[in-house]
Amino acid sequence: MELIIATLTNLLILSSMYILVALGFAFLFSMLGILNLAHGVIYMLGGYIGLSLIMALGLNQWLALLLTTLIVATFGIFLERYCFRPFVGDFNRIIMICVVLTVVLQTGVNIIAGTQILSLPPFAEGIFRFGPASVSYERIVTFAIGAVLLLATTWFVNRTKWGQQMQAISQDLEGAYLQGINVHRVSALATFIGCGLAAIAGCLMGAYLCLGPFMGDFMLVKVLMLTIIAGAGSISGIFIAGLILGSLDSILPLLVSGAASDATAVGILVVLLLIRPQGFFGHEVEM
Amino acid sequence: MESRFSIKGRKELARPAVYVGLAVIVALLPLFFGSPYIHHMLILTFIYIIAAVSFRTIVISGQFPLAHAAFMGIGAYMAAMAAKWLGMSPWITIPLSALVTACIGMLIGYPFSRLRTLYYAMGSLFFGIGVIQIIYAGGSWTGGYSGLTGIPALLPATTSKIPYFYFFLGLALVSIIALYRIEFSRIGTNLKAIDQSHVVASSVGINEGGYRILAVGVGCFFVGLAGAGYAHYNMVLSCSSFNFMATLWLVMYVLIGGVNSFAGPIVGTIILIIVPEFFRDLKMFSPFVTAVILGIVVYLMPQGLVGLPQLIRSKLTEHRKVKKVNHAS
Repeated sequence: MELIIATLTNLLILSSMYILVALGFAFLFSMLGILNLAHGVIYMLGGYIGLSLIMALGLNQWLALLLTTLIVATFGIFLERYCFRPFVGDFNRIIMICVVLTVVLQTGVNIIAGTQILSLPPFAEGIFRFGPASVSYERIVTFAIGAVLLLATTWFVNRTKWGQQMQAISQDLEGAYLQGINVHRVSALATFIGCGLAAIAGCLMGAYLCLGPFMGDFMLVKVLMLTIIAGAGSISGIFIAGLILGSLDSILPLLVSGAASDATAVGILVVLLLIRPQGFFGHEVEM
Repeated sequence: MESRFSIKGRKELARPAVYVGLAVIVALLPLFFGSPYIHHMLILTFIYIIAAVSFRTIVISGQFPLAHAAFMGIGAYMAAMAAKWLGMSPWITIPLSALVTACIGMLIGYPFSRLRTLYYAMGSLFFGIGVIQIIYAGGSWTGGYSGLTGIPALLPATTSKIPYFYFFLGLALVSIIALYRIEFSRIGTNLKAIDQSHVVASSVGINEGGYRILAVGVGCFFVGLAGAGYAHYNMVLSCSSFNFMATLWLVMYVLIGGVNSFAGPIVGTIILIIVPEFFRDLKMFSPFVTAVILGIVVYLMPQGLVGLPQLIRSKLTEHRKVKKVNHAS
């Protein structure tokens, strides 16, 4: 019973965090075909900015979370304007600029915070007991924030004018231009939202697990897997792929020990990719 | 008539002469720099030049593999394990593991040849991650998380690294010449045709899948060679030299030099390994040097460092044209 509940909460938290980070990546990927390899570092940056706001300025955790989101999201607008917009459609130079960002941000964090593993103070303390089951409030809060944000993003993309413009661009870039959509402004907005979501996920994971300068590399790989399995331009696809990935990551270690479970998960994903290269739910992105 | 022929002949001879001259200068480098550390950096440069040039051989066929460092890891671990556990001589394990890497690459290339552009890149990326996880899961056979130690050395133990320097210089020269011959043969032309349009290429009778697998096989052979040499030179292997970030750095070596020219990966590798060494005193800040080099290339040189002379020339002629127009008016 204990094991089942622990696995289940793990599954839900991991899935929601993966989806949270992946949404921002998927926006850019499906709209403009940009492979933002710096997204993992932005997630890492979110965690560290949150930590420094709490530690150095002594802010309240929730206020720090909000400020971090705003700071990183604004950084996202700058990123879109000066790093992505000049190179749209040029795969090689996008990869190069992303490596530049990764090197600069990782080295910066290394110099300022050091390479040791840090951790944010927990957002909630105590244990919730329900009959024989017990779950820590930390996990409940993490999952609740993730779920609320995911629902809000889905509502934004499906129900607002901005979100529908984003969908139009991801369906057909030229068509969207012809309809009078300001593609640059909409993609700046998408980067703003994506970086903000990644920063929130960074703070939450920094409190739930730990913070390290290289935590972004791990998340980046997960995000790439998730987006490719889901396919471009499908929000529900990202949700399902996130659940698949989260359950692989939380259930496989019970069946296969150690690094073999990661190898199995990657093997399953490669097979999925070979069955349907363009992803299971969306459409193909042309380069 | 005669003079024109002789001029042409001189021009044709001039380029190879420059290359031979460059190779001789590189071969004489140990005479000027005595420090083993510099020798070590040069040896690493040779190894990564082989890897970067072989990466480009796959790229010209229109495939963008993000698993090249993982293939280097396959070669390195194959050679190391064969030498350590089966007691084979390093002189046998190096060519053997290169062949095995090529076979694995071609086996993987077969299912992957139906993926294109971005999806091929992603598929190979996942494959590379899987390789690293398998090495981690290998336990005492592969050394797992703590790395593989006690690999037999290629050459009898000496404190000087000069024998290794000449071995890897030779290996790099042979690989570069072989890959150059392949690229400018019929095979290379076919690969470039597939890159430009796979539909047109297959309509004129080029076996698209076959040539793409062949390109992967050739690239993996040479990167396996580099990896196996690295294993017997370094004598310690750890997975972090072959993970996704290592692949990205290999990609950087190729892209910074210019992916459209054969010399690109060579120039890029030399610049990205040697230049940060001059700034070693900066210690923690030294990665910023690499970032600055990359940033300059990204924003100012769309064709990479190799395209720089042409870029300057075109800017100058533009300037001159503008001047002429001004004079005329």
